[in-house]
This record gives sequence, C-alpha cells and structure tokens, in this order.
Amino acid sequence: MTAIKFSEGRFLDKKIMEKVLTELTGFLDSRATESPMHRMAYSRDWSPRQKDASDLPDIVVIPKTTDEMVCIVQIALPYEIPIVPYGGGTGMGGGVLAWKGGIMVETKGMNQVLEIDEKNLTATVQTGITIWELNEILAKRGLWLPHQPESKRSCTIGASIACDNDSTFGLRYGKIKDCLTNAVIVTGRAEAVRVGQRKCSFSSTGYKLLDLLVGSEGTLGVITEATLRILPMPKGREVRGYFFRSLNEAAKGLERLLSAGLGIESAHLNCRHRLHFYTHTFRQKFGREPDVPDWAEVILFLSYAGDKEVVAFNIDRATQILVEEFHAHLVQEREMVEGWWDSKHRLEFIPFKQKWPDSQRQKKFGSADVGLPIGRLDEGYRHYLEIAKKWDQEILGMTVYNESPNKATASISFAVFVDDSHETSVKGFYQYVREMSEMAVRLEGTMSSYIGDGDRLGGFNQLEHGLSFEYMRRIKEVFDPKNIMNPGKKFESRWIQEGPHE
Amino acid sequence: MSRKEMLSAYRDDIYTCNRTRCGFCREECPVYRINRYETFSCRGKMLVARGLMEGALEPSKELAEMLERCLLCGYCQSRCALKNMDIITAMRQSMAAEGFASKAHRENAEKILSEGRLFDSKVLAKREGETPIYLGCLYRSRPKELSIVFSVLERLGIHPKIGEEQCCGYVVEATGFLEDFEKVKKHCMEAMNQGHDGVLLTLCPTCTMTLKEKYGVPVQHAMMAVHEKLKEPEMARKLKPLNLQVTYHDPCHLGRMLGMFEEPREILGRLGVRITEMEHHRYFSTCCGGGGGLRAVDDRLSIEISKNRVRDALKVDAEMIVTVCPTCESTLLRASGRLVNEIDRFIDVRSLWDLLDQSLSG
Repeated sequence: MTAIKFSEGRFLDKKIMEKVLTELTGFLDSRATESPMHRMAYSRDWSPRQKDASDLPDIVVIPKTTDEMVCIVQIALPYEIPIVPYGGGTGMGGGVLAWKGGIMVETKGMNQVLEIDEKNLTATVQTGITIWELNEILAKRGLWLPHQPESKRSCTIGASIACDNDSTFGLRYGKIKDCLTNAVIVTGRAEAVRVGQRKCSFSSTGYKLLDLLVGSEGTLGVITEATLRILPMPKGREVRGYFFRSLNEAAKGLERLLSAGLGIESAHLNCRHRLHFYTHTFRQKFGREPDVPDWAEVILFLSYAGDKEVVAFNIDRATQILVEEFHAHLVQEREMVEGWWDSKHRLEFIPFKQKWPDSQRQKKFGSADVGLPIGRLDEGYRHYLEIAKKWDQEILGMTVYNESPNKATASISFAVFVDDSHETSVKGFYQYVREMSEMAVRLEGTMSSYIGDGDRLGGFNQLEHGLSFEYMRRIKEVFDPKNIMNPGKKFESRWIQEGPHE
Repeated sequence: MSRKEMLSAYRDDIYTCNRTRCGFCREECPVYRINRYETFSCRGKMLVARGLMEGALEPSKELAEMLERCLLCGYCQSRCALKNMDIITAMRQSMAAEGFASKAHRENAEKILSEGRLFDSKVLAKREGETPIYLGCLYRSRPKELSIVFSVLERLGIHPKIGEEQCCGYVVEATGFLEDFEKVKKHCMEAMNQGHDGVLLTLCPTCTMTLKEKYGVPVQHAMMAVHEKLKEPEMARKLKPLNLQVTYHDPCHLGRMLGMFEEPREILGRLGVRITEMEHHRYFSTCCGGGGGLRAVDDRLSIEISKNRVRDALKVDAEMIVTVCPTCESTLLRASGRLVNEIDRFIDVRSLWDLLDQSLSG
C-alpha cells in the first residue's frame, strides 16, 4: 500500500471504511480501491485553486452497470457516505471535487453504446462514454451528436448532462438538453429511476423530471444511461470570421442573419483580447500574430453546414448583410479562421504543442461564465474590465457563445488568468466571480451559463433564485434525503459566501 | 539526487498539468483503454508525480507497479505540450533508486550490464562490408530475420559492416536504473568507437532513438537508406509489384519520436502495395503493447494492448499489418494469433523488410 502523509485525506472512520471497502470489493473486486495513488489521481478538476491544493476521496470505485451503481449507493446509504460522480474531470467549477470525502464514482467504466436506432435517430448509451468516442462511432454511420463542448475529447455524456456545459453548435442545435430524450438516474435512495419520454423529443405528461437532471451536478444522483436524439451529419461545413467595432453591433448582426432566414450553425463572438487565446495554433505554424485591424474590437466566427450550394448561398448572403448593413469586414486571413476552428472544434493541434497546457504554464485559466440579455453585451464587457482590475485578475478576454437554437443569446466566458501560486490571489479570483455574478443578476442575467454552481456558487446563488432556492432544496430532499449525493455542491460554497466582500 | 530533487526538475510541467486537466492524453492511452483508473493515464500520473514531489505520496511497490504499467509510447506527449515521458521516467527512476522496481526489470538491467545484451544472441554476425550497422539486441537474437535484412540491403547495393556491439541500454534507463544506464552507455560507446566513424545505420527504432538522443551518435534507420536507394531508377527497376492491401503500423520510437512517417509508406507505394490507414496513425499512432518494458512485468496487459492494436487494423479491413520494428512485429503477430480464438479471423503481421525481400525476389 502506498503511504500518504496528508491527514486530511481521510474523512471516514477507519472501521467503517474497512467495512464499506470490503462490501464494495465483494462485487467490484479491483474496481474498488482506497489506494492513495488512485485517490490522488481524482483530487483535482480544471477549476482554479491553489496549485498544490487537492481533495482526496476516501475510496474510488468503477462501476460498469446501473445495477452496480445501485449497490454502491445501497452500501453508502446507511453510513451516509458522500458519493461523488466523476466524468471527464474537465469541469471548471469544482463540481467533482470530493471535499467532503466519500466514494468517488469513476463513471467512465460505464462506457458502452447500448443501442443506435438509425430509424428513429436515437443513441442510447451508458453515460461514461466520451462525446468524442460516441461521435467517432456515429460518424461511421453518417450520424452525429451535435452537442459538442470544447472539452469533448475528455468530457462524458453524463458530465454534459450533469453540468449542462456549453456546445460549439448551440446556435442551431442547442445544448445537451435539446438532444436528451430519456435517462436513468441512480438516486440517493438507491433506486434506479427512468425519467423522460423514451425516444420522443417531447412530452406533455407528468412533470419534466428529465430537465431536472440537466445541470444537477450529481446532487440528485448518478446518471448512468441516456437516450439522445442524433442527426444525420451535414455534407459540408465552412467557417468564416468577421471583424466588428462593438459587441452589440456583432450581436445585432447575428440576429439580423437569423431573421433573414439564413442557416447558421454556430456563432462565437470573441473580443480582441480573447482572440489571442484562440490563435495559438496560428502562431505555432506561422510564427507571428494574425492580422487584426486596430479598429476591430470583436471577431464574430460563424460556421455554416449543409449541402455545398446551400452553404455557399448562406455565406454569400450573410457576408453581404454583415458588410453592407453592419460595416463588418470579412476576415481575409483564412489560416487564422481555420486555426480558430482547429482550436474550437476539430481540436487539431500541432503534435507536442497543444494549446491548453501550453497556455497555462504560468497561470491558470479561470472564467466567470455569466449569462446576459443579448442587448447588454457592451455594458457587461465594461463591468468585466473594471471588476477584473479591481480584483487584480489578468484579463484574458471574453467569448460569447450562442447556446439556444436559432436566436442570438449570450452565454459568456469572461476569462482571466489566475495566479494560483498563493491562496490570496485564488481567493481574489472567486471574489471576481462573485462580483461578476452580482453584476449579471443586476443586468437581468444569470450567474452561470455553462460551468454550473460547483463548489463556488452554492448558497450564494440564492441571490439569483430567491424563494425558488428553497423549492430546489426540497426537490433535492426527494431525490437524496440523506444528502449523500455530491454534498457541498449547489447548496453550499467553499469560496463565495453572502455578506460584504472580503 | 533525491526523489524530490529529481521531480522538482519538472516542477513547472507537473503543476501545469495539474492546473490544466484537459485530458486530451487520456482516452486513447493504450493502458488506460484497459485499466480504467485515471491513475493509469498520463493525466492521473501527473497528480501522482505532484504527490511524490511534494512528499504527500511515498514510493511503494504498488506505485512502482502502476508506473511500470506504462509503455512510454509517448502518445500522451503528442497530445500535450509538456515533458510527460521524462516525468514518468523520473518517477520510475525514483522507484528504482528506493528499491521498489520489479525483480524482472532489475534482472534485465543486470543482464544487460554484465552481458551487454538483453536477449541471448543466436548469431554473431560479423560482416566486412562498407556500411556500419548497429543491429540491436533483438536482431542479434533473430538470425533468420537478420539474413533477410542483409539480403535486401546487399541487393540494393548497401553492404553491411557488422562488428562487436553492446546493448544501447534503452530498457535500463526506461525502467529506472539510471546509474546502470550510465555504465551501459560507456560500454556501448567503447564498442562503437572501435567499429566505425560517420553515420551509423540502425535496424531497431528504439536503438535508433536511444543512440541519437541519449548518446548523440549520428545514426540513421536503415530503412531511410533503402528509401534513398530506391530513388535510383536502376534500383527501383529491381522491384516487382506486390498485390497487397495493408495497413502500416508506426512504431512509436521511429514515428512519433523521430518523425519517420512517410518513408516506409513511400517504400510500400513503390512495392505497389495499397495502404489503408488505421484510425490512429503517424503522430497519434498507438503502441503495439511491447513498449516501456511492459512485457517483462505484465504480459497479460501487454497482450490485451496488442490485441486492441490488431483490432484497429481489423476495423479498416486490412489484409496485413506491416511495420519496421522487430518488437512491434512480434508483439502484434502474437496478439493476432490470440485473437483468432476470439473472432475467428487472422491478420498477418509482416516486416517491411520481408515485403522488400519478396518484391526483390519476385
């Protein structure tokens, strides 16, 4: 057994621990462990915290079926042991950190495709499969799942449901909720419950419990199976970039394109600071910065998909509208646009030069992921610059994702580089998140649009939800009466409390 | 050097991975595809590295065993920008230094140190040609394969000069025995200095990489020389077309590490062979299962990894897997044989040297 020194690494009483582990190994065998090295490997996600911080679970398990998951909860329930589901581990809100200890459920052992129904265009999967792998399988049949977060190489279907994360193609297809038709969740009552409408995309009967799962962050249970509406793959895809003078102008331009009846598949607005983050591949290839005019404050990237002639028509008409009516400029440097798409969608990087580690060598990427009404982008951006400066956060830039089908919306990443070398600066980041969240609510928006509450906004989010927060608590009690499912999330924060700013 | 000092040399990379967590390295890691704890992926190992560096985790047999279940194939590194393989090797070195390395690895290191070779040689192939060639332990133990290589080279006008040689010691370093590796390196250099000057041709991708990167010796894989020769019209005319449809398996050390991707494919093209690429190829090829000393400590896992690679070839309906690494060839061939029991289908695995021989003899 590997020795481990940190005493805080163990939450469970030793005797209970031994008993529970014996029961778990009884049916999981080597798929249950208390080994410190395995616990260490599950001690971080992508959220900003001090660089030497870690949260160790007491036990790690790898179930392969819903039945095994039910058994795990049955074992944990009498001792009220926390159960924390772990998907891709790429969340930026601390949602998978076992800061109250307990059993870490490695869900990627449940990674089988249960059915691909080509006639009804659905895929039923175990939720531990990654979005990338599912799409590789579907691609062989000319199909795809359009829910595509940038973390898709690593992110699982279960994590996408539980975290309600972003999707590159949200403008046409929405997010995971718009694909999800059915799911199985193992609740804190140790019951496997099927929710949803099987292979149908809608239902007017009963309450929409399926919607409750989206963004539940493991606090209601562990989602083990899902049925997703899949689509025939478009025959072609083209990407274009446009320079604008302001965010609001770009948003108005996008709305105009949609009202013109054009088919736009994805739309991403980057401020010029943020563009730098997405031109990593360009710089690696060409050894210089891309050509961005001084006046351009915003770059709007659009992708168009479909039959060749339809795509060509859409591009021509969209470009005409944006140039003539909004004085936008089409980006001529195709390499920059393709480089951005490599970084955003294809995830094709020069070997040994991948963007994410390469850009986080000194500081940590961190984001306030607020949602704003579409007409308040410029206002939100001004506040972002002020608030980031106030909390001494290095500005990385802003991206607006469009995550709702066929309308311009503003799911925003207001990103900063966090100095994670000491506690004070990390706390400063969460003060920045807090003030950005307050700003968002003030501007009639929302605190979080794709990261979720995690271990940062829980409790503080009452500011947004008011009395409905209490109803959420009661819903939680129905699914998880003993509060064992991912405790310390959604209703409780380690970082942001109510009251005056520190 | 203490363990903490050893890992502290990579402090920035370790913390960068810990704060990044993109996980691009994980899903296609050949070991993680089978052992599903994050710990077996590079991303998980980088958290373990931090634990060891900060002193939160202590070396142990269990930890050493986990680290020995890494192929050092470099897939993770190609999806990253950090020195993952150096970090994993440093962790292995700290395990070996503190006495936790496996018996099998220790014995292999001792054998190489005392006998100058990993496998028992069945051939001492001294030849008095003009072109010095470093055979490597595997080819030295396989006279039949070696005679085919020599025959191909001779027919293309390359006349091998073979003398005494000592093992390059890759496996000694890769399994963590740093001090022993320095000694092996000294022996190997002494033997090499007696034999030649100028560029040394090599047959084994692993030796090629080791001699180039750890010794600084000017080396070239012999297949590169063949590629050059086949540009000469009179040599190219000697080739008879082979009616084959194959997939090419990139050996990790030759491809990902040394960037030799196109030459073998171009040679196959000259042989009239049609290539269907597997999903994972070139920089993102996956290991045959024989890397990093895995076979010595966990042959079952090695076979399962090999079987996955053979399955990759079956998915694209290739008639044959072709490669240019003696380890990959034997490892994949063994897995292909085992898979017959499971799927009732056999896919042959051949060396590019074999196909050249067949074409030149045709």
